Amino acid sequence: MGSDLRLWGQLRADKAGMAGLLVVAAYFLLAVGVWAGMLGQDWSSAGGDRWASPGAEAWFGTNLLGQDIFQRSIYSVRTAFEIGLVVSVLSTLLGAILGAVAGWYGKTWVDGSVLWLAGVLDSIPFYLFVAAVAFALQGKPWAMHVAMVATFWTGTGRLVRAEVMKIKSREFILSARAIGLPDLVILARHVLPNTGHILLIQASIVFVAAIKTEVILSFLGLGVQDGVSWGLMLAESTQEVLAGHFNNFIAASAMLFVLLMGFNQLSDALQDAFDPREAAL
Amino acid sequence: MNPAVLTVRNLSVQTASGPGQRPAADHVSFELRQGEVLALVGESGCGKTKTAEAIMGLLSPDRWKVTADEIRLEGTELTRLTPREAGRIRGSEISMVFQEPLTALDPVFTCGYQLCSVFRRHRGMGRRESRESSLAMFGRVGFSDPERTFNSYPHQLSGGMRQRVMIAMAMACRPAVLIADEPTTALDVTTQAQVLAQLVELGRAYGTAILLITHDLGVVAQYANRALVMSGGKIVENARVDELFDRPRHPATVTLLSHAAGAVN
Repeated sequence: MGSDLRLWGQLRADKAGMAGLLVVAAYFLLAVGVWAGMLGQDWSSAGGDRWASPGAEAWFGTNLLGQDIFQRSIYSVRTAFEIGLVVSVLSTLLGAILGAVAGWYGKTWVDGSVLWLAGVLDSIPFYLFVAAVAFALQGKPWAMHVAMVATFWTGTGRLVRAEVMKIKSREFILSARAIGLPDLVILARHVLPNTGHILLIQASIVFVAAIKTEVILSFLGLGVQDGVSWGLMLAESTQEVLAGHFNNFIAASAMLFVLLMGFNQLSDALQDAFDPREAAL
Repeated sequence: MNPAVLTVRNLSVQTASGPGQRPAADHVSFELRQGEVLALVGESGCGKTKTAEAIMGLLSPDRWKVTADEIRLEGTELTRLTPREAGRIRGSEISMVFQEPLTALDPVFTCGYQLCSVFRRHRGMGRRESRESSLAMFGRVGFSDPERTFNSYPHQLSGGMRQRVMIAMAMACRPAVLIADEPTTALDVTTQAQVLAQLVELGRAYGTAILLITHDLGVVAQYANRALVMSGGKIVENARVDELFDRPRHPATVTLLSHAAGAVN
């Protein structure tokens, strides 16, 4: 596909973007390693001394329970990717569908209801909303996912709605009608595919947002219930930092920082590559 | 004289919001006969395109109010069809070629995919069959390498080639009526002639009557049998092409003719 090649060429030329892609790919491999049971399996055993220094035994040292910080930060990559993927895929899907329907039936009660719903969800302070959902779904490990998907789709939804309104008046939609295609088929086959660039960029933005949010929620005790995440490690480190032990804190922060930097660079580069005005320059 | 395949009686198009405004089309009546090329000429803004879109049923009802005593396509009254029935007729019995082929083709799909969707929709063909029919159709409209056209995206083709793709899509099901809305206005002069000749030849071969919308009287003289002159939403003259050029009766026709002559000189 010609335009794919052009996009890839554009992305290749963007050095920061390519560095971001490499970072994300490296993290993804770690996550796959954990999923496959090859890496980070020893994250919960409390065998060693507490607060051991980094060494051959435990590369990043141990925490206050004597758990291996390196193993824990690697296992957390999996947690982060799991949440990032689930939330970005589901919220992008939801945003695409609701946004497309709202845009297609623009200025009708359908559109009004979707906008109203988005407005209501956007107006609730996010952490309050998550706390409410976490309380309502007590003990369910996916309470956090539900809360994020329920609120993160609104941005995508609004963008898709506007784009669909624009596409709707384009001539190829008229010509799809002129060859006799029914409305729903036109919406699914000619309108939604033309919003693909927005969906891809939004998915990458939501992915980052979901990982960040997971860390914050876990830190607050509203997030990951079983397993480990950078947020839980940071929560532990609040007790350690005062005692002068920084390993846990540094490991979790650094892992999170590098992944988010990489992903932001990548999504910036994607945005540039897809922007037709930039491409025309 | 051949029987009429498309009869339009008292077709009016008005904006839904402002009933006080001058209608885009005002009691338009005409007949399109089997196998003929009927030109609909007039300056821009006189209501040609809105008339065509109203016949095709493409005007959105929340923006346009369309009324007609009769729009009859080979015995089917189009004004009384449900959206479902209309969808089955559009693209198979009556179809349309648009002015700007780049914007009328979906940029994210190959031309082949878009032509296939016509065959799938109206002929119930599967993947393989629709692909073969599409390749044959691309060959029919003059592509020397149908395989390559099939796999091309609209932006990879020239304007003339894109319009041929549009023509292939419109003519795929051998419709009784084709409405061509300024099909060559966006093309350069040499390509114009080729594309129009192709269109008229295909219409003749398939027995498709063509309503050719244009503002170019040179095109009318060369390809049309009869011509309707439209001005201010009304049809002001309906004549054989030679009569129209020899003895124009309406001032709007005279103006159009003098402009055409001016362009030549």
